[in-house]
Amino acid sequence: MSTKTIASTREAAADAILEAALKDPKVVFVSADSVKAARATKFAAALPERLFEMGIAEQTAVAFAAGLASCGYKPFVMTYANFITMRACEQVRNYTGYTHLGVKLVGLNGGVHGGEREGVTHQSIEDLAILRAVPGMEIVVPADPGQTRKALFAMLDRPGPGYIRVGCGREPVLCADDEPFVFDKLHVMKKTGNDAVVFAVGPVLRNVLKAAERLEKEGIGITVVDLHTLKPLDSEGVKALIAAAKIVITVEDHNVIGGLGSAVAEVMAESGSAKRLTRLGLQDVFGVSGDGDALLDHFGMSADTIAETVKRGLAGLNG
Amino acid sequence: MNTHDPKGNVARLKGISAELRKSTLTLIHQAGDGHPGPALSIADLVTTLYFDEMRVDPKNPKWEDRDRFLLSKGHACTVLYAALAKRGFFPESLLSGFRSLGSILQGHPVMDKIPGVDMTTGTLGHGLSVGGGMAAAARLGGKDFRVYVILGDGEINEGIIWEGAQVVANLRLSNLTAFLDLNGFQSGGTTNEVSGIDRIAVADKFRAFGWNTIDIDGHDYDQILASIAAAKRETTRPTLVVAHTIKGKGVPFMENNNAWHKGVPTKEQLAEAIKALEAA
Repeated sequence: MSTKTIASTREAAADAILEAALKDPKVVFVSADSVKAARATKFAAALPERLFEMGIAEQTAVAFAAGLASCGYKPFVMTYANFITMRACEQVRNYTGYTHLGVKLVGLNGGVHGGEREGVTHQSIEDLAILRAVPGMEIVVPADPGQTRKALFAMLDRPGPGYIRVGCGREPVLCADDEPFVFDKLHVMKKTGNDAVVFAVGPVLRNVLKAAERLEKEGIGITVVDLHTLKPLDSEGVKALIAAAKIVITVEDHNVIGGLGSAVAEVMAESGSAKRLTRLGLQDVFGVSGDGDALLDHFGMSADTIAETVKRGLAGLNG
Repeated sequence: MNTHDPKGNVARLKGISAELRKSTLTLIHQAGDGHPGPALSIADLVTTLYFDEMRVDPKNPKWEDRDRFLLSKGHACTVLYAALAKRGFFPESLLSGFRSLGSILQGHPVMDKIPGVDMTTGTLGHGLSVGGGMAAAARLGGKDFRVYVILGDGEINEGIIWEGAQVVANLRLSNLTAFLDLNGFQSGGTTNEVSGIDRIAVADKFRAFGWNTIDIDGHDYDQILASIAAAKRETTRPTLVVAHTIKGKGVPFMENNNAWHKGVPTKEQLAEAIKALEAA
């Protein structure tokens, strides 16, 4: 484990893009005046000819990247998640999804934790739902900065379009440096038992891990799962963990409609699981401005709320 | 002596464009769907690009050094499909399957289904932004291929056109040439009625964005060829060729009649159109 407890998924992503670009002359960066926000100033200084500045024009950034990709380049578009997935939604769908071009999208400010003080316009809480609905789009939400670097390299090897969600730049370090990242395979982060399985993605996993510690002291064992690759989903892995657990919880810094909770619910329903599912996350509401950690607590994703949800779920089985 | 036509082939190109127009109308008639007016207005531009100017190889449609073409006004694709078939990218027998289940010829151009189509289009507004990426790729890779885009005049209502215009000029992508098919109509009526596009001021707008602009008669091969030659001499600015065209050009009952923006000629109308095209 790194000695740091807080690091930056943004910086990890930008540094990984530069690292990749130094090895592969086809890797290029498309900016929507997002060099500073994306922590890509090192890329700009090292490889200015491979950085294409669009100005504040996200639709053109995605379309331009598609043009580059069609000529054999491996472009990264890195800017705010909302502006990639909503402002440029049509360009993402038609010019990266439908064309199957290898444009990699890196979305900043994932969730209320990522968008924090900026408020609703900059907090992406629908990005995962929107992109899950685009055929062929691959989606990863790395657990922490170290996993972000590994996820980015894994995505670079994929031929088609992909989306990586990162945060504000102050994310908890949750994984050991030597913890591998395996694309499209879920990652069991902690296992104290099979009373509940909790699926989560991104920084909120810290709260799930804390909840697991508290529950363990009370004699309740849970399985904490980092379901980082939301698409393609590791359905077989999810099914096996659900089969082993008494109840199922999902925790996502996203609207509970269309994201992680929905993906797990779809697997459960189609596999005939009768287990109880509780989806924590934004309950079809918009966020507000505030400190990122405080916002997770405010919207029902604190360690205490997660632990209580597990206990209530188990009590329901006995009642 | 025509100074811009060293190959002496204007007559040849005129003959090809008549064939493409006939082919377009025939396939729309057979398929029972399509946009004849917008396809006919760009037939001479498409003919010049695919049968005179562009460096392409029908045997190797993904050749990395080929010139690229983006039909930004993707709904006019019937004339592109006719050109690609005639050029040998795929058999002409496939044309009649346009827009039908099982055909490669989708309702709008699709790059990985249709040999010779360099970029998927259909949602208006994307030619400059996507084409800009291609032009930037050429420059970065030290390649001399050029990027050609055909825009519709109604299409330039789209905001992303102006994002793209800004970026392509700012990056000095002089290897990109866009033709504006200024036929004066969009789906709902004349461009002036629907969106207030002034047919003269549009070039001023692009010049204000940093483009080189050239006004031509989009049905005059000498002028089309000269505009391409002039665009290739530019070293710092992209070029917009404002091509003054006639919607439905070549078929008298379709010319400047916006009812043919989308429509299917009957058997009798097709015969009349072909007769007019052969007589011209």
